[in-house]
Amino acid sequence: MTMDKGLRLGEVAFGLAVLALGVFIAFETWTMPVVGATTTVGPRLFPGLVAAGLILVGLWLQVEALTTGPVEADGIEIDWPAFSLVASGLLLQIVLLETLGWIVAGTLLFVMTARAFGSRRYGTNMLIGLLLTGLTLLVFDLGLDLELPVGSLFEPLLDALQK
Amino acid sequence: METLSALLHGFSVALTPYNLMWSAIGVTLGTAIGVLPGIGPALTVALLLPVTYNLDPTSAFIMFAGIFYGAMYGGSTTSILLNTPGESASIVTALDGHAMARKGRGAQALATAAIGSFVAGTIATVALTFVAPLMVRVALAFGPAEYFALMVLALTTVTAVLGDSLPRGLASLFFGLALGLVGIDLQTGQARFALGIPELLDGIDVVVVAVGLFAVGETLYNAARHRFEPEEMYDLKGSKWMSREDWSRSWKPWLRGTLIGFPIGALPAGGSEIPTFLSYLTEKRLSRHPEEFGHGAIEAVAGPEAANNASAAGVLAPLLSLGLPTSATAAIMLAAFQQYGLQPGPLLFDNNSTLVWGLIASLYIGNVLLLVLNLPMAGVWVKLLAIPRPWLYAGILIFATMGAYTLNNNLVDLVILWVIGLIGFGMRVLDVPVAPCIVGLILGPMAEQQFRRALAISQGDLSVFVTHPISLALLLIGLLLILVPMLLRRRRAAQLPA
Repeated sequence: MTMDKGLRLGEVAFGLAVLALGVFIAFETWTMPVVGATTTVGPRLFPGLVAAGLILVGLWLQVEALTTGPVEADGIEIDWPAFSLVASGLLLQIVLLETLGWIVAGTLLFVMTARAFGSRRYGTNMLIGLLLTGLTLLVFDLGLDLELPVGSLFEPLLDALQK
Repeated sequence: METLSALLHGFSVALTPYNLMWSAIGVTLGTAIGVLPGIGPALTVALLLPVTYNLDPTSAFIMFAGIFYGAMYGGSTTSILLNTPGESASIVTALDGHAMARKGRGAQALATAAIGSFVAGTIATVALTFVAPLMVRVALAFGPAEYFALMVLALTTVTAVLGDSLPRGLASLFFGLALGLVGIDLQTGQARFALGIPELLDGIDVVVVAVGLFAVGETLYNAARHRFEPEEMYDLKGSKWMSREDWSRSWKPWLRGTLIGFPIGALPAGGSEIPTFLSYLTEKRLSRHPEEFGHGAIEAVAGPEAANNASAAGVLAPLLSLGLPTSATAAIMLAAFQQYGLQPGPLLFDNNSTLVWGLIASLYIGNVLLLVLNLPMAGVWVKLLAIPRPWLYAGILIFATMGAYTLNNNLVDLVILWVIGLIGFGMRVLDVPVAPCIVGLILGPMAEQQFRRALAISQGDLSVFVTHPISLALLLIGLLLILVPMLLRRRRAAQLPA
């Protein structure tokens, strides 16, 4: 029963989120500066329609959540610690990518995600992560001319090596 | 005849050793990535986009054709052996395909899927060859009002048909449309919803959204659920070949599946979910053993797989001739075209006929390569399925973040990826369909442009959309597609308590 309640809460929250997005877009559209009213349909009409659509659907979802209840009756259990581990791994990667570089940030993400899926073999996972990120860096930066960051911390080191 | 000579020219382009190599690489990579659980064709194409950045457009799209078909085949392997369909179109395959695998007939299920896909893909590509130029002729008669109506129709069908709940589909669609608003307004140069972030002025990339919703959202979901949902994997054993009975029970479903799949896929409102379900129901009705359905009937794998592949080829018809994507995968392909500065539509056939016909020719070639590669290599793909889950999902995230970062080499895309990933997780938990969001994101800005062009021509008179007969008809069909299922549902609900 508690799961049922949780899912119902999820439905209400979902409806509210849609509603909030609609209101936000409506507000932004309302306050958007208008440059030259020469065109018959300005840049504000479509956002207005989208905002109206979001608000209506948000309300519809509320009504549905309160009257008919969740579509799936049995509810869903969620392992929040595992979820947070993956989510924070991704965030850490964003923070560290440009200083520590693709290899370090990527390996960290690899190890954290593997841990979230229950693997505790940190040594092996780190090795695989290093291999995977190292290989992709090589293939992409040398072979395909794309730029995965080496990391600003390591760049002086590389420059020194090349001299 | 014009078509035939164009096609022959296409073959002369696609059959050069260089392009043949890209086609083979595409098919192999597509299958290898597509076979990984949780990765459907749309995501496969999105993840492999960076690999093609340095190719000339023709070779890149020849490779995409291979990736496209390879990913579809890889996806059916996963559905059959692991029961984890990577996209809604292979849900039906998973029903009986996995039941066959449980009975130790996984190899036969894979074989009927592979050969069925080949048969359907080939016939459907022939059909595409002739339908696409016809569509181009129709498209030339289209003005902005008709294009707008067509896009509305495509958006409503993608939304109304998928999933069980209309408001959820609509929420996903409007979210996609909202994401599409971000960036500089093409007609006036006005910045919209960029929140003062310069990187957002170019808009939000479809690829980032697709990778976020599919790869990141799916990984978060699986991380949160893997303790509660043990997987069962069935290895291939026994004879690897189809018996005489398997053949005789398969060939008619292949043809019927093709017949159902291509036309529906080619409609500007297509998609591949409906044809697979229709094919399943048809086979069940026609079968002499309907009781076997759901417990491993080979017809139930042969038909829907053929329908799936035929509709995938069908979807390319409106994509190439009208620039109209009707599935998530097609939306990503369109994004790929735009990345090369190409706009699919009638003009593409004139201005880039080498590319278009090379692409179509390579669909034929890709199909053959797929069959040649996959029958002997099925065992290798099965090994990929056995990758331990921690490594698989960690690897998926590495490739997902790499793909998002290398698009523009900036961190903003990674932040967007993160946010969209969390939203994707929420959508997955609450059972909100993802495809309307992706199609909405790419079609929204196009629809807005056509809408404003139409009104600029009519000098602000809104009635253009209902006075042009084609436009009116398209809008009416769209309205019916929303209303009819709603009324049916209401009637069914009213009958139930009695």
